[in-house]
Amino acid sequence: MVRPDWTHHTNGDTTMKKTLILLAATTALSAAIAAPTWSAVRTSDSPVQLFAAILEFGQDAMPLILASGDDDDDREYRNGSRSEDDDDDRERKYRSGSRRDDDDDDDECDGDDQDDDDCGGSARNAAPAGTTPPPQNGLFGNGTPPVVQMN
Amino acid sequence: MKSLLATLALTTALTLPGLAMARPVTLTTTMNNYGGDGAYLALYVTDAAGAYAGSLWMAGGKSKYYEHLSDWYRATAGDTAQINGITGASVGAGRTLEITLDLADTLFDAGYTLHIDAAVEDMRDSPNEVTVPLTTDGAGTPVTGRRYVADFTYDM
Repeated sequence: MVRPDWTHHTNGDTTMKKTLILLAATTALSAAIAAPTWSAVRTSDSPVQLFAAILEFGQDAMPLILASGDDDDDREYRNGSRSEDDDDDRERKYRSGSRRDDDDDDDECDGDDQDDDDCGGSARNAAPAGTTPPPQNGLFGNGTPPVVQMN
Repeated sequence: MKSLLATLALTTALTLPGLAMARPVTLTTTMNNYGGDGAYLALYVTDAAGAYAGSLWMAGGKSKYYEHLSDWYRATAGDTAQINGITGASVGAGRTLEITLDLADTLFDAGYTLHIDAAVEDMRDSPNEVTVPLTTDGAGTPVTGRRYVADFTYDM
């Protein structure tokens, strides 16, 4: 008489169960990621607004507070004369070799500083040394980070 | 055991040329006492034809001032991707910036030239402040800058 292979069946069931659990978990994870994204790209008349509504909840209750000390009475003295520059952050202002009066209210965000990161402009500052490897421009060896010393 | 030895030999053979193709090079820039704020410096390389080959270092972190490093800016259009990971602080008057980089051997004795553009707040921009051919013979020989750089040396 040939006995049925119960062990094999049990293993098969276990494997199937594991697969199903895995599938269920990945589906749940995908749904959790996709739903907010779907809501974020919805059109205004889209019926799918549930998650976006949740994400936007409370925004009215938290007004944007601008903390800035730029309008303090900070004055810089240059060339013996006082120029009323109301930014106090000691930023360099290169202006093609000529000194310039900073008498506008906020020259950090004027037209010629469109790429200023302080203004939330599109240009980005480069990653400082040590945070990323040197660029792959063929000049550097094996990506060893630079060693810098200032004396 | 035989396969392990073969693997070790192969990895060693692949690694050694990589190590031999680059060497640590120290770039030392000493600034004059020019009486201004910290200088922005762009150190970059051009090939034998004078075409921009790549950047080695940017002293100064704010991209909005890079246009004053005019030759570098013209060559790169101010692309900060060129200087990711090789950007540091600006260099004050009278101070010395010492950078050690792992540079490819192919840079030396192959017609490449190192350039330094300099700019200082409220002072004149100085493109091509320093220009020095990259040769093994030239290593350790100080080169004088035009306006802000007292001298520049590369050592291997």
